[in-house]
Amino acid sequence: MRAVAVGQAELKLFWRNRTALFNSLLLPLLLAPVLYSVDADGVPLVVGLIGFALLKAVYYNLVTTFVARREELVLKRLRVGELTDPEILAGAALPSVVVALGQMVLYTVVVGVVTGVALPSRPWFLLLGVLGGVAVFVLLAAASSAFTRTVEMAQVTSLPVLMACLFGSGLVFPLSVLPDEVASVLQYLPLTPVLELLRAGWADGPVLKPVIVLAVWIVLGTYAVQRWFRWDPRR
Amino acid sequence: MTAIEVRGLTRRYSGGFEAVRGVSFDVERGEMFALLGTNGAGKTSTVEVVEGLSRPAEGSVRVLGHDPFAERKLVRPRMGVMLQEGGFPPDLTVVEAARMWAGTLTSPRPVDEALSLVDLAHRASVRVKQLSGGERRRLDLALALLGKPEVLFLDEPTTGLDPESRRNTWELIRALLREGVTVLLTTHYLEEAQALADRLAIMHRGRIVAQGTVSEVVDAYPSRISFVPPEGIALPVVADVDSSGRATVRTNELQATLHELLVWAERNNVELSGLDARSASLEEAFLAIAEEAA
Repeated sequence: MRAVAVGQAELKLFWRNRTALFNSLLLPLLLAPVLYSVDADGVPLVVGLIGFALLKAVYYNLVTTFVARREELVLKRLRVGELTDPEILAGAALPSVVVALGQMVLYTVVVGVVTGVALPSRPWFLLLGVLGGVAVFVLLAAASSAFTRTVEMAQVTSLPVLMACLFGSGLVFPLSVLPDEVASVLQYLPLTPVLELLRAGWADGPVLKPVIVLAVWIVLGTYAVQRWFRWDPRR
Repeated sequence: MTAIEVRGLTRRYSGGFEAVRGVSFDVERGEMFALLGTNGAGKTSTVEVVEGLSRPAEGSVRVLGHDPFAERKLVRPRMGVMLQEGGFPPDLTVVEAARMWAGTLTSPRPVDEALSLVDLAHRASVRVKQLSGGERRRLDLALALLGKPEVLFLDEPTTGLDPESRRNTWELIRALLREGVTVLLTTHYLEEAQALADRLAIMHRGRIVAQGTVSEVVDAYPSRISFVPPEGIALPVVADVDSSGRATVRTNELQATLHELLVWAERNNVELSGLDARSASLEEAFLAIAEEAA
């Protein structure tokens, strides 16, 4: 895995970037008080926190990372080397993904212990949801970076995906409060099938449809990256 | 054997602008070929296609017998690239950037060796953002050499280097050429091409307007003799006198014309002050070509 060489360098950079470090390691601790206000079932909370980690630690962080490396001409330099395009993206994405997975494990264990969540009865759906979610949001981050001129602009260009997923995928409020017509459309958002698969780890939820929707998003994301991703700065 | 073969290369940008229009050249194994040209002539646009960063709109490119874009996997392990502007994460140290790069290569040389080659070993633990522009160029060169390339692309390799570093880089490039490395150089320092290149091409507005060995390109242009002419006496040769009063004689037979002029001066007992005689240089050829083509 030659991409690991890039990933290791990225991890060093992440460690040296105090803002990113603070956001990724300290912010989850600020969520702790929320945990104590929850007295009911812990599963929705675990699912929500994993969804949150996908949006923040994977998607938003990576839009910023891809833009920063592009503008520093790092991507262009890597592209005249031996790595393939997917290896370059995977290498750059590695630390964010590792941090996000760490957060997810932490959330699951802490919430599990505090609220007494049972072990998932179908852990493979949980795993599928997490891995599929990581794949989709890495691809969407790469696609979004193509429409982002500067690192600062990432705060704006990431909003459509962030807002749609926060409010449309049942993260902030359950989709059941919405009219059926609206809810049936929102289940095609990229985060919705991920959350459905995560829930299916604990309960007998539907799995075929979310798997298909997720697969379609991965195909669309791959196409968008191939079509629009920019390896050097706009002139 | 041909290391690089470019045929009828045309590159178009998305706006429709044609940066390169039907460029053809060959680079033989072990030789240095230099692409020269004014800013915006299309040098970097050409080289980027040869490196396989983008597909030509028309024409074909072969590097070591392969298409550098479609067969990137076969070609890249055998080539090293120094981009005109390439980047490294500013918060990595020199040695970390080099190690990262080494980790991506099939058979890298030791990192310390690569840094020593460009005199950066003593800066190994310095962050990239603290390097001077010249040091950054040398780090880029070190990475280009890290994979022990057979074909080396150097896009303006000595821009921003102090004279001593430039000489050292030239020596390093000469040593690589002796080892049989093929080099495609772009530069706007004409003396650099004159000092290093076996053959060269001069580009202007996307086309190659002159191509050959340095002497082939230069010999087409006249030598020059210049001096401040003595007053009150007609010169024996045709000369242009510029506004500062300096006369310039252009000739294809420098020795004979100079002899004639000196004999004339001695006979008439006049002084040719500020006398300067020189064969055509690449600079003169270049300026003449740029002027003609304008």
